[in-house]
Amino acid sequence: MREESMTSKGNSLKLLNEFELILESDPLIDELGFIHPSQFVTLNKEAASSLEHEDANFWSRDHKLAISTDVLLPLYKVAKDAFLYAISQYKRHENRLDASWDESNLESEVMKHSKALLLLSCDFGTAWNSRKLIVSKKQHMLIFLEELLLSALVLSYSPKSEQAWCHRRWAIKMISGKCSTLQDIVGKESELVEKIAERSKMNYRAWNHRCWLVSYMTREQVLHELKKSRNWAGLHVADNSCFHYRTRLMLRVREECCHKLEDETSDGNDEIYQIWQEELDWNEALIKRYVGREALWLHRRFLSLSWIRHFTTNLGDTSNHRVCKSSINADIGIFMDNESRLANSCSMVPDNDFEDFQAQAIYSATYILWLAKQISDSQGIELLEKLNVGSLKTMLNMACPERSSLWDILNG
Amino acid sequence: MEHLRMNGAYWGLTALDLLGKIDALDSNEVIEWIMKCQHESGGFAGNIGHDPHMLYTLSAVQVLALFDKLNVLDADKVANYVSGLQNDDGSFTGDEWGEVDTRFSYLAICCLSILHRLDKINVEKAVNYIVSCKNVDGGFGCTPGGESHAGQIFCCVGALAVTGSLHHVDKDLLGWWLCERQVKSGGLNGRPEKLPDVCYSWWVLSSLIMIDRVHWINKDKLVKFILNCQDTENGGISDRPEDAVDVFHTYFGVAGLSLLEYPGVKAIDPAYALPVDVVNRIFFQK
Repeated sequence: MREESMTSKGNSLKLLNEFELILESDPLIDELGFIHPSQFVTLNKEAASSLEHEDANFWSRDHKLAISTDVLLPLYKVAKDAFLYAISQYKRHENRLDASWDESNLESEVMKHSKALLLLSCDFGTAWNSRKLIVSKKQHMLIFLEELLLSALVLSYSPKSEQAWCHRRWAIKMISGKCSTLQDIVGKESELVEKIAERSKMNYRAWNHRCWLVSYMTREQVLHELKKSRNWAGLHVADNSCFHYRTRLMLRVREECCHKLEDETSDGNDEIYQIWQEELDWNEALIKRYVGREALWLHRRFLSLSWIRHFTTNLGDTSNHRVCKSSINADIGIFMDNESRLANSCSMVPDNDFEDFQAQAIYSATYILWLAKQISDSQGIELLEKLNVGSLKTMLNMACPERSSLWDILNG
Repeated sequence: MEHLRMNGAYWGLTALDLLGKIDALDSNEVIEWIMKCQHESGGFAGNIGHDPHMLYTLSAVQVLALFDKLNVLDADKVANYVSGLQNDDGSFTGDEWGEVDTRFSYLAICCLSILHRLDKINVEKAVNYIVSCKNVDGGFGCTPGGESHAGQIFCCVGALAVTGSLHHVDKDLLGWWLCERQVKSGGLNGRPEKLPDVCYSWWVLSSLIMIDRVHWINKDKLVKFILNCQDTENGGISDRPEDAVDVFHTYFGVAGLSLLEYPGVKAIDPAYALPVDVVNRIFFQK
């Protein structure tokens, strides 16, 4: 019995060695997947003779690595034990301030085993921390960049890994003060998010990372991102996160312009006016093309409300004191007339059962009610009178009768 | 998943307590294990031998509160760990490595409140930081300018509730966004365009209760949705009907039913995420 468990432990160690050798021999592996043993056969056929590594457990070629699901559990266990042992050794010697300890050897053990472990268990926080501890002592640019590579590799198999995203932010913060290529790195980060968002839909962690990057961007980068993300958003109209990202970018442009306006008169406001107007027009076109998309209507709520607060006057609204006012004095009445027309044209439910049209009708009605509530009392009441609330309510009750209590409140 | 075993203990034990079955486990064994997860710094790890984090520190304190064993703690030591993670701008990091998130603000505030040590931090600054993460839609994100998310909203509203600062919330505006999370099946999602998930029965519902807007959703349909997610053979609850069950969704399903006043489930406090009798014991029994 004991002998048997010794052999299995020996096998596991062999497995870990093999895994770590593969990782060491190709530091540029950029994609990782776990596959069923039966898929190895297919992979091997396709790859013919060009394999860099091939056996029953691992497969690697062109910087792609596959691990058999058969070995995942034993491999995880042995990697975890090896890592926990290495980090406890490291910390013991570190605390003793022992001049004779073989620091570099213990460090490389921790780095090696933590990497193996994180490729099997992406949110093992203690393993990420151990790397932060060692890397921060080095303060070497290249080593920080290697951490970004490891994080990207983990994200290739687990795109929502909170720890992997967090590790990137930590590395970027560490190099941000002393790196001349920070703008390049920020640009590449943004591209990475886009690549991951493409195959991992509505990934909150990924988009949150992209929003975080905005504060590190130059004005030119912000404008470039605004332009670039527009194409992507147009193809992913249900991804609310991308529209939120645009919100973040637009607010950043406006903030900067407000700061500038404090000391000088500039034509920055014209630019902001144009950005808002283009976004409103584009959003309207998308609303008409893609019927019944919640994210598009919610984006419009933001666009319209901030347009009204920024470009119109005499609102009597005290909640916007932080928003700098534009010298452009647009007419709120005309703006709201346009919005009502759009909402009206979207509230027709054809005589069929298409859910999309019903959704479109509900979103358009709640959009206009929401907007009326947010603007000042007198303007809002005037608008509600024009809108004929009774008919909106009837429409909402017909389209979605189970929420009648909510419609009563929203209309009230 | 062993790195977050402490959270697992909290989810499982709170669900058991809400169902009146906390005696099913040996409390001494659990407490002994919890105390082995504590570090010199005062913080708790997700498991023995792991690094401490605010996430596990609150869970450890909550579980001890469930068992009425907060006295085994050196409260000042835990409070020092937590207060040491507050930044100058009022925000909190989750551990010594510096990631900032409004979730950590909630964890810190909830934990210190349970330990009667809120005076250890600058509450005003903590509140101001949370308020700076408010969006045009009335919701809250991880950091200023971050996208609204029902989980983050629970954390921000919960922290504001505990510190008596709910006047910073635009209740009608946020209530509107939250009640729009209910989809046709009756379930709640956490963000626009997403599928419903049982865990948002907790996050959305508790937030709506704290801001007094829970009557804006259809409760009957939500109860049905949660019950449809139960595996009637094994007992657990999953994220959506027909999916595999787990302890995380089981807890959130039970907690959601508790907020909906479902018969046979004890009442849960929407801010502290602990049974109401446990919260009363912490604050009114001295």
